[in-house]
Amino acid sequence: MKRGWITASGIFLMLFGGAVYLASKLAFLDTLGPGPGFFPLILGVLGAALAALLIVRMAREPAAAVADATGDAGPVDTLIPDRAAMGRIVGIIVLLAAGILALDPIGYRLTALVFLTLMLLVLGVRNVVAIAAVALVGSFGLFHGFYYWLKVPLPIGMFGI
Amino acid sequence: MVETLQHLMTGFGAALTPVNLTFALIGCILGTLIGVLPGIGPAAGTAILIPLTFQLDATGAIIMLAAIYYGAMYGGTITSVLINVPGEAASVITCLDGHAMAKNGRAGAALGIAAIGSFIGGLVATILLVVVATPLSKLALSFGPPEFFALMLVGLVLVTSLAGESLIAGVLMTVLGLLISLIGIDPVRGAPRFTFGIPELYDGLGFIPVVMGLFGIGEILATAEKPYREVIKTKLSGLIPSRDEWRRSMGAIWRGTGIGFFLGLIPGVGAIIPTFMSYIVEKRLSKHPELFGTGVIEGVAGPETANNSYANGAMVPLLTLGIPSSPTIAVLMGAFIVNGLTPGPFLFQERPDLVWAVIASFFVGNVLLLILNLPLVGLWAKILEIPYQYICAGTLLFCMIGAYSINQSVFDLWVMLGCGVIGYLLRKLNFPLAPLVLGLILGPQMEKSLRTSLEMSAGDFSIFVTRPLSASMLALAIVILVLAALQFAPKEIRDPNAD
Repeated sequence: MKRGWITASGIFLMLFGGAVYLASKLAFLDTLGPGPGFFPLILGVLGAALAALLIVRMAREPAAAVADATGDAGPVDTLIPDRAAMGRIVGIIVLLAAGILALDPIGYRLTALVFLTLMLLVLGVRNVVAIAAVALVGSFGLFHGFYYWLKVPLPIGMFGI
Repeated sequence: MVETLQHLMTGFGAALTPVNLTFALIGCILGTLIGVLPGIGPAAGTAILIPLTFQLDATGAIIMLAAIYYGAMYGGTITSVLINVPGEAASVITCLDGHAMAKNGRAGAALGIAAIGSFIGGLVATILLVVVATPLSKLALSFGPPEFFALMLVGLVLVTSLAGESLIAGVLMTVLGLLISLIGIDPVRGAPRFTFGIPELYDGLGFIPVVMGLFGIGEILATAEKPYREVIKTKLSGLIPSRDEWRRSMGAIWRGTGIGFFLGLIPGVGAIIPTFMSYIVEKRLSKHPELFGTGVIEGVAGPETANNSYANGAMVPLLTLGIPSSPTIAVLMGAFIVNGLTPGPFLFQERPDLVWAVIASFFVGNVLLLILNLPLVGLWAKILEIPYQYICAGTLLFCMIGAYSINQSVFDLWVMLGCGVIGYLLRKLNFPLAPLVLGLILGPQMEKSLRTSLEMSAGDFSIFVTRPLSASMLALAIVILVLAALQFAPKEIRDPNAD
């Protein structure tokens, strides 16, 4: 947990540092008063200071105290999920990314059909009939409901289906 | 008061039209469904379902989304009682005595008293909302930009100080949320900020995709770490509590109503604290506190009432001041904004028809929830038999549809996925997400109030301390921060990512 918090705070420090740099290029004050850089610069400085404070505090505290202060009493390695769980998490993220990439070119129906089929397989479902039923309802069924009844425009794609 | 009652009657006229009644009913059903399904919290659930309201007029859309919200607050009870798994964070405490009652063969009575308590709590809280709404909104109309800035600061400080285990992390998340809210074209001078030349960023990051990512995708990724639970089959009988159970529950219900409503008025408290507080109060007042945890009906009646009373009480700061008190209320605020409305005192002046129709719909919704939840509880229990993998895949698909359909933009989907991964990691590290979300939604208004105030004073910061109301609110914010720093709030009842 301690290493995780220090790493996260380090990333926040870089993020806020970047925000300070970008905000400093905008006008802090102008003829009307505070400029577009005013609020971002204040927030950036405040955020960077807090992230630095968090790093210093975490680095000074013993690991047990950090775990207590952050509400985690478990060992450090509980932060990393086991192999099977990691497989599911990575599978979900990769399938979502693939679905996003495919959505506009091939349309909602085909994307959802493949997405649901693969997602259920990744999540451990092996019932072929159930997978097919869920994939069909989630793709063609939901498209019909959203597109025609609720008038929510979903992408059609290059194949027209 | 006469004026308020006239507005309320007009509101009932709108809320009871067949169309709006249908929207409230659909909202209650969908909300209960979200509450029943473990792994989908009310914030993500409400955000996911926003696209369903795109074709509705603003009144119908808000009525439906509000019904989804308080439906979800009730639905979590069913899983807490039947399978010892809270459907949402506020129902955690119900597991203790609710599930024990189920094991004693009194699941029906536990669910029955939860439904009745929720009804009474929701109804009384809505009556109190009606009473305080007009005076509070009139008071807020006298606020200038410095007062609004100070008020939003108080709201954010409250959320920050109560949200997590580390005050610094809470403030950091608030500042991050505020900073992210500034992405896009500066509304006053028209200068692009943090856009990196990406046209999709000129309008800023969409609030709904961010919330869907942080709470929806993040929650699913966190759930994917554990092996999926087995299909659960439950038996249910006897929904009406016995005479003795009624007698013991009534005091708990009234106390829960008071606790829930008053804590609902305070931004940042979240739904979990009123339920825990109600449980603690009931245990302290009981002649047999040692029996709590073994299936005592007061342990269900009090917290469940407090939960729904809180849900309605939390509407007071949103509707009258424009301050959301929890991530789910922030999503509702986002829904107002999507419909071109800004919650707050001006809405009472500009669209009294809408505000009072929504308030009247709370009464209607509470009646609908009672009707839905008493006879249909067996049906909700059946839903628990659906394997979680299907719910997970379906939720991910709904997230995709929801995030895409707001602007028909694939970019919003990437935002959602990115925020999902970030939300998952922040969850793992116990960084609180609520301050980030509230910072994100309040950021633009806060900056506008700050800059307008400084323009009014020609750059003089003393404008915030020379105006009595603004100075008092800033002093209050400082006091809250100092108290939080002294670890004022009891640590054991805080869950950083509870709604």
